[in-house]
Amino acid sequence: MLEALDELFSPGCVTRAADDLAHWGRDWTTAYKAAPSAVVFPKSIHEVVALVRWAGSHGVALVPSGGRTGLSGGAVANHGEVVVSFDRMNAISDFRPADRLVTCQAGVVTANLQGFATEQGLSYPVDFASSGSSQIGGNIATNAGGIKVIRYGLTRDWVAGLTVVSGSGEILECNQGLIKNATGYDLRHLFVGSEGTLGFIVEAQMRLALAPPPQRVMVLGVPRFADILEVLSAMQARLVLSAFEFFADQALAKVMAHRDLQSPLSARVAFYALIEFDDDALEEATAVFEHCVASGWVVDAVLSQSDTQAGQLWQLREAISESIAPFTPYKNDISVCIGDMPGFLDAVEMLVAREYPDFEVCWYGHIGDGNLHLNILKPESMDTQAFYARCHEISPKVFQAVAEKNGSISAEHGVGLLKRDFLGFSRSPAEIGVMRGLKGVLDPHGIMNPGKLL
Amino acid sequence: MKVMVPVKRVVDANVKVRVKPDNTGVDLTNVKMAVNPFCEIAIEEAVRLTEAGLATEVVAVAVGTSACQEQLRTCLALGADRAVLIETDEDVQPLGIAKALKALQDKENADIVIFGKQSIDGDNSQTGQMFAALAGMPQGTFASEVTPEDGKLKVTREIDGGLQTISVSLPAVITTDLRLNEPRYASLPNIMKAKKKPLDTMSAADLGVDVAPTVEVVSVEPPEERQAGVKVETVDELVDKLRNEAKVIT
Repeated sequence: MLEALDELFSPGCVTRAADDLAHWGRDWTTAYKAAPSAVVFPKSIHEVVALVRWAGSHGVALVPSGGRTGLSGGAVANHGEVVVSFDRMNAISDFRPADRLVTCQAGVVTANLQGFATEQGLSYPVDFASSGSSQIGGNIATNAGGIKVIRYGLTRDWVAGLTVVSGSGEILECNQGLIKNATGYDLRHLFVGSEGTLGFIVEAQMRLALAPPPQRVMVLGVPRFADILEVLSAMQARLVLSAFEFFADQALAKVMAHRDLQSPLSARVAFYALIEFDDDALEEATAVFEHCVASGWVVDAVLSQSDTQAGQLWQLREAISESIAPFTPYKNDISVCIGDMPGFLDAVEMLVAREYPDFEVCWYGHIGDGNLHLNILKPESMDTQAFYARCHEISPKVFQAVAEKNGSISAEHGVGLLKRDFLGFSRSPAEIGVMRGLKGVLDPHGIMNPGKLL
Repeated sequence: MKVMVPVKRVVDANVKVRVKPDNTGVDLTNVKMAVNPFCEIAIEEAVRLTEAGLATEVVAVAVGTSACQEQLRTCLALGADRAVLIETDEDVQPLGIAKALKALQDKENADIVIFGKQSIDGDNSQTGQMFAALAGMPQGTFASEVTPEDGKLKVTREIDGGLQTISVSLPAVITTDLRLNEPRYASLPNIMKAKKKPLDTMSAADLGVDVAPTVEVVSVEPPEERQAGVKVETVDELVDKLRNEAKVIT
């Protein structure tokens, strides 16, 4: 039946080679084995429409594929699905300066959009460690967050319009760049974060921001976990932060070993906060630092003296994910409201100490957004499947603590396959019922990334 | 033992520079400036000599506009004890800088003068050598290792295709290569202490030196833009292009 794909696509745009299936069949999630039946590379919206209609009438499951940097298995094809890669729909087709709007196809790499914005004297301010590989379509489908959320918000905040091919093969043009549009349901926001389960995002109009003023980076040493929140509120009371990240010394140790870097501070400290702010707020930031030292929260800090150094300091945070990857980390990506953070941190820390006494635990995250990345590293001697099984047993206990604070079991990684069975910790049966109803309307044949999210 | 470290204020290495439309130079409006990376290595080496108990004083020096104070403060935060700005609004060049530094050295009598091997803006790699000649001091250039030994300096130099080890008597000039050390970050407590460290300003005229440029820049051109690559469909097509277009095989 899959021979029909060769008629739908031009030569070289369909592959069934084993290497390609393994490559395009999975994302950065290491728990699943790739097993798609084919990979296709559409070059136009009309090819996507033809594919979805064909798949609908033949009941063939489709998995959308962007930069495949996801961490929840949202882009994993492990049941003979056809992978739809947007690698070749990667054009930036229009720029409207008066609206600060860029029209780009789904496969545009995030860093290329950022670069394009910079060339126009503007910026695309959503940024993450994987922006050199991730694609804008995937960013939207997962409502990606990243390291500048505290100031610039999530991907959702910059989506001004979407063109989507729904599961029934219809083209939906959702809000075409308008700032104001009070004409009923904003379907655009329904597709943001939908993980490809309702339709495929094929084109997006992204709003650009003004170019940011020169920035400074400060890395502070914070001996006690709870004091990181004190530092955050002291900083936020007096200056506008572009980023507030934290990481534990275990995470730093992995980065230093992996990238051969020096320690930022002269002595090692249990936790670090990395903050970024406008250069002209330096005096305020220094005053807050002094206050933090006087209060006993902070023992030392370094300050970037150039953009080059700012980049080097950022590496300490951005390289964590890559540096711990060889240790087969089990990733938790959880969030609560900032006000609930202190109690939540205590509860999770006790739980982790009790449940994972024999595992190395790596903490880091966007604490300014209430978002923690709790990574459990696999002991070298332990079998991978046994390790995941054990983590899966403990996860409900972590998620229960999240649920008690009305938090989210997936702050920014999405639900995908990895968190699907735990959705009930963050969404009520009534909500999940509505989600299923929406899926039924937009994906009547159940072919759009089936098994993910719901 | 006193160590003098001349440092240069240059465009931040992370900045993508643009050539001015009239091709007279690089556009510096609103461009972030920083300590020349090789000079950072020089400061780090001097501070390490102090920490090892081998040097007693580190003096950072800049020749340029009053804006250079910013970079001198960075050097003070990194561990220099005091700083001197030889202030001039001239477009200073290696020879003028070397003359000004020589005049200062006559007062300071530093035992070691550590330069960066070159600045990332001018790429001249001349100032350290010119200074050594004017001051009549031996020089260990492109150093990747410096060890004080019996009142001399053992210097490992990075030369084409290998390393050369030399010994120079003091006072001596060193210029730093990339591998000499990895500079530390400036800590906040040290940045605050640096505000109270002495930073003296004098003019080139105070030193009786003429730093007027002797070389005139005629034109600055950006590198030619590279043509985008093309993807070929087959090996035959590749071979054909290599033979007939690129003409790299026959």
